[in-house]
Amino acid sequence: MVPIQIVLISAVVFLAFYMYLRLRSSLLDAVMIFLFCGAAVFFILFPDTTTEIAQWLGVKRGLNLVFYSITVFFFFLILKLYARLRKLENKFTEMVRENSLKKEEELSDKKA
Amino acid sequence: MGLEPSSIFVIVPCYNEAVVIRQTAEKLLQKKYSVVVVDDASRDNSRSALLGLPVYYIRHSCNLGQGAAIRTGIELALKKSAAFLVTFDADGQHDADDIEKMIECLRNKKADIVFGSRFVPGAATNAPLFRKLVLKTARFINYLASSILLSDANNGLRAMTSTAALKMKITENRSSHNAQVQNLVHQHKLKYVECPVNISYSDYSKKKGVRNISSIRILYDLILYKIFR
Repeated sequence: MVPIQIVLISAVVFLAFYMYLRLRSSLLDAVMIFLFCGAAVFFILFPDTTTEIAQWLGVKRGLNLVFYSITVFFFFLILKLYARLRKLENKFTEMVRENSLKKEEELSDKKA
Repeated sequence: MGLEPSSIFVIVPCYNEAVVIRQTAEKLLQKKYSVVVVDDASRDNSRSALLGLPVYYIRHSCNLGQGAAIRTGIELALKKSAAFLVTFDADGQHDADDIEKMIECLRNKKADIVFGSRFVPGAATNAPLFRKLVLKTARFINYLASSILLSDANNGLRAMTSTAALKMKITENRSSHNAQVQNLVHQHKLKYVECPVNISYSDYSKKKGVRNISSIRILYDLILYKIFR
C-alpha cells in the first residue's frame, strides 16, 4: 500500500462516519453512504480497475472516466442545491409577505 | 363608465424611489384611484416621502424583488376588495392617463388582463434605439418561455380584473416575473389584449430603471424558472 492510499482511505472513512452522525440518516441513507464509500475504498485500493471499466466504456484512461463522472455528478448536485435554494426563497418570501400584510398602514393622517 | 375609480387599485412597487414616489402617487390620487405602494425595503426613507397622502403603504422587511412586491400589492388590493388592479412603475415612466384607457379596454373587450405596450399603433415612446432592440429580443424569449407573444414583453403597466388577479400567484421574485405573468395567463387560459401606452424615458428613469445589461440576469432567472417550476 502506498501512502496516498492510506490518506485517501482514512479521509473516506472519516467522511462516511461524519456524514452518518451529522445527518442522523435513515437506514436507506446509511446503506447509500456505505455503498458509495465502499466503492471509493475499492477504487483507491485497486486503481487499475477504473481503467478496465473505462476501456470497456470506450474511454482511454480510468482517470478520465472519473473526471467525466464527477463533472456530471457535480452538475446534478448544483441543480439539486438550486432547487432547494429556490424552495427556501419561496418560503422566506411568504413569511416576509405575511408579516408585511399585517403591518399595512394608511399614511393620510400622518403628518409629513 | 359607471365605475367607482376607487375600486381601481393601482399597485406601485417601489425600491429606493423617494425622489419621485410622491409625485407618482399624487398623479394617481388626482384620478381618485386607490393607490397601494409596496416598499420593497427601500433604504432611502420612501415612506416619509409619502406621509400625508391617502395611500395604502406596505413594507417588506427585506428586499425581495419587483415580482414579490407586485404579488404583495395584489394580495392587499384583493383584501380591500378591489374590482380592477393595475401595476404601475414608481419611477415616473408610466402615464396615469393611460389607466382609464386600459380599464375601458378591459371592459369593452371582456378581457381578463390588459398589457400596456410601447409598440402597438397609437403608442408614443422615446426609447433609445438599443433599448428597443433589447426589448424586441426579450419579447421572443418571453414567447418561448410562456407561449404568448406580446409586442412589448417587459412593460410593467398592466391592468387586470380581480378574478385574473386571484390567479396571479407570482413566485418569481425578480424581473423574470414578467415572463411568469405571461405564463400564468397562458396556463389559466385568461383572455388578454394589448393596449398602446405612453412610456417616457426621463434621465431619472434611465438611470434608475432596468439597464440593458440586466437583461442577461433576467434571462438567467428565466432559465432557472423554466427548469424548476
